[in-house]
Amino acid sequence: MSLANGAAAGLSHIQRSVEDVRAELGVAPVSVESIRNPDIYSDEQERIFRKCWLKVATAWELPKSGDYKVKELEVAGASVLIIRGKEDKIRAFHNVCTHRGNKVVPTSDFETFGHARANVVTCRFHGWVFGSDGALRSVPLKERFGEIDTSCLGLREIACDIWEGFIFINFDPVPAQSLKDYLGDFATLFGGYPYHEATTAFRYSTVLNCNWKVALYAFSEGYHVPTIHAGSLPGFSGIEHTDFKIMGPHASSAIYGGGMKTAQSTQKFAALLHKSERHRPHPDLLPAAINAAGRDDFQFELPNVFPNFLLHLASGCGYPGMAYFTHQFWPLEHSKTLWEGINYFRPAGSAAEKVAQIHVNALHRNAWLEDTATMEATFSGVMSGAIDEIYLMDEEFLIRHADRTQERFRAGEAVIS
Amino acid sequence: MSSATLPPAFQDLAPFADKWARPTEQARSEIRWGASPADFAGFYEAFMPKLDETLVFLADRPVCELSVEEENLFHLACAFAEAAPHHELYRGSAEVPHSFDARRFVAAHGQEET
Repeated sequence: MSLANGAAAGLSHIQRSVEDVRAELGVAPVSVESIRNPDIYSDEQERIFRKCWLKVATAWELPKSGDYKVKELEVAGASVLIIRGKEDKIRAFHNVCTHRGNKVVPTSDFETFGHARANVVTCRFHGWVFGSDGALRSVPLKERFGEIDTSCLGLREIACDIWEGFIFINFDPVPAQSLKDYLGDFATLFGGYPYHEATTAFRYSTVLNCNWKVALYAFSEGYHVPTIHAGSLPGFSGIEHTDFKIMGPHASSAIYGGGMKTAQSTQKFAALLHKSERHRPHPDLLPAAINAAGRDDFQFELPNVFPNFLLHLASGCGYPGMAYFTHQFWPLEHSKTLWEGINYFRPAGSAAEKVAQIHVNALHRNAWLEDTATMEATFSGVMSGAIDEIYLMDEEFLIRHADRTQERFRAGEAVIS
Repeated sequence: MSSATLPPAFQDLAPFADKWARPTEQARSEIRWGASPADFAGFYEAFMPKLDETLVFLADRPVCELSVEEENLFHLACAFAEAAPHHELYRGSAEVPHSFDARRFVAAHGQEET
């Protein structure tokens, strides 16, 4: 590991050897109580999901003034309207009419997209009109209310800020930290990559009958790759999960690998993408402290952005043409989770590049089908009471770190630095 | 069923276009879920020798500017891109082996119809 490059980015203090991680987080088995005990869920709702910054959208999903996304977040019992206003500012509001509480924008699913014509949204119940800045613009038959101060009846705003085009919200009326401070060293480690150029998104979601942490943990390590992915990633060799980093509530690590026995069709699709300047591997674009040693077998950097966001940064070095991919795990209840996985590519310049991206996306989707196959069974196993602890090896340290961080937030800590 | 029209150099693939070429990921998935090992093998053996030529043909054409014939070829190539692993890696199985139920995955790709 090139400590010099880490030092250049001012990040040498986040790097951890295996010995460091063992000393800092321990090696003992971890209790399954936080997964198994349904009573812990309300603490998670109050002290984690209502307190921490949560990624809910990307700026390029809402390219034009008036574009909006509504995200249903069961974990906070909230419907959230994220909207780009007239002056290009993106804000978040409770999607709740201040008249009597109806949803202003009707929703059809966990995510609903739309465009506010003339920069206003209108509640269908009685026709109250709100601007994209949240202000209440018009109330039908306003004179019949007797007394009403419309200047105080704008949509209820939720703290919202943006890092590198990723839109985060915080349900706390007074967040303990700004987004910048909350992300801390993570923002430096992952900052500067042109995420906004990879606007072609292939998104998959499903509702899993498991606790959200079972799904999060399944995607938080590379230990499972040679076994679970023997079908989709045959002969994946030399996999190494290393370059451990701890950054307050967040942690990260890198996956290296000698590659897999690539099928004939994959070779052709990969060759097409690799000969394009736009889609070829771009280790040159990786932030300085990621793959600091410049290894040829770099696949991606895998962080856990607390509490529920994984952002795998590959810059085309792993799956051909793929810039990065993300996972999120949204609790619906103690034993139910909405998982979202998104593959991001730079836009295809031709129909041929699009076909190649569809192939790469399909291979990765299929790998996710292998991943998700374990989750409901794992949860059932934990719930059966047969085991009280899970055993974690070095490369599973993101799980150990997340478990510890959750425990600290549940215990009432507001800032973990 | 009338045969799909493809650009002249690819017209031999018309029967495969009839079976496999569909404009959306969901429609293509439904066809894959009903395919047999022989279906995957037949498609693979017919299309793989034409893959290079297909990619060259589609290389200077943006998706939004395709003619009807070119779009049929594009949709066929998309179907091949998704079906090839079932022949190459999954021994002709319509399901990814040892996997979650693919029907429970919901696809949503930005503005694109899925």
